[in-house]
Amino acid sequence: MSAPAPAPNGAADARDPSGFLSEIIGAPVTVKLNSGVVYKGELQSVDGYMNIALEQTKELVDGKLRRNYGDAFVRGNNVMYISADS
Amino acid sequence: MATQLLPLELIDRCVGSPIWVIMKGDKEFSGTLLGFDDFVNMVLENVTEYDYSGAQTKLPKILLNGNNVCMLIPGGMPEGNES
Amino acid sequence: MADAEEAGATASNEPMFLISLALNEIVFVRLRGDRELKGRLHAYDSHCNLVLGDVEETVYVVDDEEQGDEVKTVKKQSEMLFLRGDSVVLISPQQ
Repeated sequence: MSAPAPAPNGAADARDPSGFLSEIIGAPVTVKLNSGVVYKGELQSVDGYMNIALEQTKELVDGKLRRNYGDAFVRGNNVMYISADS
Repeated sequence: MATQLLPLELIDRCVGSPIWVIMKGDKEFSGTLLGFDDFVNMVLENVTEYDYSGAQTKLPKILLNGNNVCMLIPGGMPEGNES
Repeated sequence: MADAEEAGATASNEPMFLISLALNEIVFVRLRGDRELKGRLHAYDSHCNLVLGDVEETVYVVDDEEQGDEVKTVKKQSEMLFLRGDSVVLISPQQ
């Protein structure tokens, strides 16, 4: 339901949600869910619902590794934030 | 008569400045607002995440889902505010 | 957009494309409330409603009577099931 659309002020550069997303496609990211579960992997794609496709994903619960996934699709309604790993 | 300021116009004025985000439930974020969209999804930089226990996590740059945002406070979190 | 995806026309640069690749393959599905499913993906739509076959469901249960939060798993088998998308957290094709 929450499509990253350009901000009211206009230009969609890397500062706006959609610009930020296109900037970090292919990069290692951390995705935190509302439940507190964390996924770390390489960002394949994101859509307007904040559904996320990740590659080589680690699933962390309370900081401890619970599972590994080759490819993973995360349903957007669970997502709290997407963070670009430094 | 003063012209009315729409809520999202207030947020637009905060772009490039520190902001304090209080989520529904006990979670807060503070950082520099780089941008946002109509759903108040926000791109934040130099972020500190505060959880219910007061534990802090530093995040360089995030896209925060607007879905669970409760309140936005321009100017960021006051020094020494979080216990 | 949702209707287009229901027709199976998902662009390769969208997350749903990952699910379209997993059609008729074995998938792992993490659900809300410490539940997991593993089964063959027969159908899906843009809400993540799923039809799975030969499914094994694993439920993690914390046993209060045991000291130290012992985690038990309960497994259930089913031939075919429909899963409503709103409980889906993660879908992963199994290699």
